[in-house]
Formats: sequence, structure tokens, C-alpha cells
Amino acid sequence: MSEIKKIIKGCLAGNRRDQELLYRRHAARLYAVCLQYSGNDEEARDILQEGFIKIFEKLDNYKHEGSFEGWIRRITVNTALEKFRKRHSLYRVDDIDMIQEPDAEPDNQDYAGLEANDLLEIIRELPTKYRMVFNLYAIEGYSHKEISKMVNISEGTSKSNLSRARVILQRRVGSYTGIKKKVANE
Amino acid sequence: MNEKGANIDLLFRNGLKDFEVLPPPGVWDGIHSAVKTKSRPVILLRVAAVTAILLTVSFLTYRLSREISNIPSGSPMAFNVAVPFPVISQQLENPQNLTSLKTNQFKFFPNGLTENDNTGTISQGIETIASPEQSIYLQESKSLSITNRETIRGPLLTPLNTFQGNTIQIKYPDLQYIPEEIASKLQNRWSIAAMASPTYYSSFNSGSDELSKQLTASEQSLISYSGGVSFAYKISKRFSIQSGLYYSSLGQKVDGISSFSGFQPYSNTKGDHNFEVLTTNGTVYTNNPDVFLSADGSDRILTAYTNDVFDPKKASLQPINNSLNQNFSYLELPVFVRYKIVDKTIGINLIGGLSYNMLVNNTVYTTIDGNRYSVGKTEGLNPLSLSSSLGMGMEYNLSGKLSLNLEPTFRYYLNPFSVTTGSLVHPYSFGIFSGVSYKF
Repeated sequence: MSEIKKIIKGCLAGNRRDQELLYRRHAARLYAVCLQYSGNDEEARDILQEGFIKIFEKLDNYKHEGSFEGWIRRITVNTALEKFRKRHSLYRVDDIDMIQEPDAEPDNQDYAGLEANDLLEIIRELPTKYRMVFNLYAIEGYSHKEISKMVNISEGTSKSNLSRARVILQRRVGSYTGIKKKVANE
Repeated sequence: MNEKGANIDLLFRNGLKDFEVLPPPGVWDGIHSAVKTKSRPVILLRVAAVTAILLTVSFLTYRLSREISNIPSGSPMAFNVAVPFPVISQQLENPQNLTSLKTNQFKFFPNGLTENDNTGTISQGIETIASPEQSIYLQESKSLSITNRETIRGPLLTPLNTFQGNTIQIKYPDLQYIPEEIASKLQNRWSIAAMASPTYYSSFNSGSDELSKQLTASEQSLISYSGGVSFAYKISKRFSIQSGLYYSSLGQKVDGISSFSGFQPYSNTKGDHNFEVLTTNGTVYTNNPDVFLSADGSDRILTAYTNDVFDPKKASLQPINNSLNQNFSYLELPVFVRYKIVDKTIGINLIGGLSYNMLVNNTVYTTIDGNRYSVGKTEGLNPLSLSSSLGMGMEYNLSGKLSLNLEPTFRYYLNPFSVTTGSLVHPYSFGIFSGVSYKF
């Protein structure tokens, strides 16, 4: 029996040591995901806590088919989405800004030197609705059709939000890269 | 643009892949306490089930052993003079001779009683039975007496008309003495009761996050009520099993939510609710398109019509109230065990057990001039819940069959009405049930 299977079995039996072991193994990875989906640290902490409670509650549903890491990541992302829907779904995002495709930005930027921390900081500066769509599409790999159902918006809104998010990210990445180079030259 | 988009997507996808950030301390404690608390009802249920099984087995064993020990031993006259007040379990041939007797009036003296011929001699009689031609003379004695004429059944005493002076012989063809405790069990095994109570309802909240604290702080319990009929079966002198059907109505008041009427012309949400209100018992969804809600200084309302988008005063909406009432009604199926601590004119019982509760009604309303104004309903409620009860029942016997009951009862709901994110709310209630019961 693999180690993760043993830990899961222990968790299902209510063994505190195994529960804590499972948390210690995956908390850092999942907390990074939570930060990616939230606007502030407090919200990220809540998502992590609620996500892990759900993981322990639903652990007996895990059939050992597919990656366990992928399974717990999906639960965490869904928890973040649930929180997002509670806070924002009734704002009817699709009515607010049907934006035009933004003008092309020069994309000959040199992204070298950007670290994961920088990327996380940039992504968290996005407006919530753009951040959600960008994360789901670009990082998780969902389609616009799936995102429209998950976030309760139209496919068109999902596309336009993604487009706006990319433009903002490109600008921020550019300015970050510029600042970093400037600092390095000095 | 698509290519550039893909580049920026890849930058973030690859850059954040396998990225890790240590979570702040204390998160695990919150998770562990929540997981631990949630598993507790299961443990409680198991303990309750095992206890119930052990109690049942104990009762049955006890009862069986008592019945075996009281089987008459061979002789038709299982006569035990050591029992101070034995009860004769059979009727006289002329029962009218005894029907006029009151308890403790019929006494006789067992001296001279011989088991072989089943006869006894009574001397120095001083009381007579009603029938003059078959007078039985009795002697005042503490050694034996018939204490409960209702338990006298079947042919038993045959006066032989051998009255001589102060002596009379009585034949005992099938004399059987049964202790009063066993005899009383044979009758009034069933009872039916109608009970009702006002109840105080509240909840234990083990949620640790800020949101659940805010929610709890603005909620107040409403006086609720409960009532129904129950029946009980006596399995021994002191133990009974009780079940029945009860209806209970619980509720709470949610402060800090201003409601207005007249919103329908401004509502453009098609087929959906306009407002969501977070409460500890679940999320309230409005289903009345005419109502507008706003929260005073909190973010517990989720809506597209926020204060910066829509101002109810500018739209001249009619203010209704500053609070909402949540009401839940349940049908309850209890399974209780009653233990009689005191068995006198005023009896005292200890009552405990479990109830299955089925949600039958769920409304949210506010009030205007004493009238209800419907707002919506609470979503996410558990349709079935389990509660445990513990109470102390007082019983005043008006007669052998009818009694008045008063039962202060504490009830704890083993599973919450609903699970609010990050919050574990276990409701409880306290009520003083009163009513009447009839034994048969």
C-alpha cells in the first residue's frame, strides 16, 4: 500500500496524526492556490481552512483514480469559487462591462527575472472577476463554457474578462520587468 | 493577440506551477477542531445506540428473571407468609362478597393454615363481608391482607359455612400469592398522553471565524412551542418505553436587516431571488419580488442592488421593519425511556431518549403593524435531524388511570439545522411540557 493510501486510510479512521500529516504535506501548495484566487491573505486563509475541512469530509469519495493532488486542488479551487459566488454572483458581471478587444500591446517583452512571488503579486492585483476567469482558463485549463457555468456568467463575458485580464497582466509584467532591470542596473 | 495571450498564460502557468507558500500558523488548529467537532455526533450516536441496546437487554433479562422466580412452585397453594401483604390473584366464587370491600378491609389470619388440605382457620373474627349468609369472621392481624381488590381474579376462596362460634374454615383450592409489585404490572401497561410546551430555543456556536461571530451576535431566539401525543408501554414497574408524534415550531430573529416594500417595479432579476441573507442556520433567499433588503453596517446581504446602485429612500420604498424572523417547523418522532424514581400520588420520572425530526415548514418573514410580511425561505436546511432529550417528569395521579403531567425537558440537536461555512451551530431548546395522561 502506498504511503498516501495509508495516510488516507488513517484519516478515514479519524487518526489525528494522519490528518495532520496530510495537512502538512499539502498545505503549502494549496495555500499558494488560495492566494492566487483571493484578494487578501485573510480570505486565502479562510479558503484553505474551509477547503481542508471539505477534503476531510469528502475523503471517502476519493476512489484512488487519478492524482490525489489534483483532487484536493479541485476541492480548494471550488471552495474559492463558492466564496466568490457568494460575494459576487449577484452583481451580474455580464451586464457591467462588455468590453472591446483591447488594442494589441507589443509582446516582445523579456519576462526573464520574474519569480513566482512576483507573478503571484501581479495576479492578485487583478480585479476579482478577471482574476477568477484568468485562473480558471489559463492555470486550471477550463473552457469558457465551463467557466461560464462555474462563475455564473455568459461565455462572452468569460472571454472578454480573460482578454482584459491578459492586457492588464501584460502591462504589469512589463512594468515589473522594467523595474527589476532598472534595480539590477543600479 | 491569441498568441500573446497564450504566452502570458504560459508565463503564469509555468511560473506558478509547484509554487508553495507556508500558510499562517493556527490554520491547522481551526481545521482540526472543526473536523473533530463534526465527527462527535457520530460518536454520540454510536454511544447512544450501544446504551439503548444494553438497557434493553438488561430490562428484558431483569424482567425474565423476575417472572421465573415468581412461578408457583408445585403446590396449588403457593402461599408465602413471609410476604407481608400478599395479593390474591384470583376471584372468589361469590365476587359480590368482596366488591364492596375497600382496600385493607379484608383481613384474615393465617395461623392454622395447612398447605396439605388447603384450608385455613380464622378465629376471633371481628369484621364481616357484606353477604350476611356467608359471613367470614376475621381477625385483626398484620400478618396477611388483601391490599388490592382489583387484582383478585378467578375462583379462589370458597367459604365452607363452617361457622362455629368465633371460628370459620376457608378452603383455598387454588390459592396463589403474587407480590403486589408483579400484580400491579399486569394492569395499566399502556398509557397515552397529550402534552404541550412553550420552548426556549438557542444554539451552541463553535465557529471561530469572524463571519460566524458577526452572524451569531445579531441573532436572537424567539419563544417557540411544541406539542403532540405520545404513548408509553410499561416494561417493568419502573421502566417504560415511550413514543408518539410531536409538532414543534422554532424560530429566531435576525437583527440589523432593514426591509422595505414596493421594490417590484425596480426588480429586473428574472426568475431568481433578489437578495441572499447569511444566517447561522443557512442562507435566506427572498422569494417576494416586492421586498427590498439592506444590511445595517454589515456585508451579510448578497445582492446586485447594493446601496451604491439602489437607494430605497430615493425610490420612496415603504420601510417595514429592521429585523427578519426565521421560522422552522418539525414533525418529531421520539423514542424515549422513562424511569420512575418515585411511585406515589405524585410520581417523579427520569426521561431520556432520541427524536427524529422532519422539517415540514420553513418561512422567513418580517412584521408590519403586527401582521406578517413574507420575505422568503431559508435554503440549505437539513430535511432530517436527530435530537437527544433529557427531562424530569412529575406526575400527579388524579385517579388510578388519569394523571396530570409536568415535564421540564432539555433537548440538544445532534446535527445542525444546516452547515454554514466555517461555522458549526448546534441548536438546543428547553421546554416545560404539561398535559394529561390516561393509563389503560
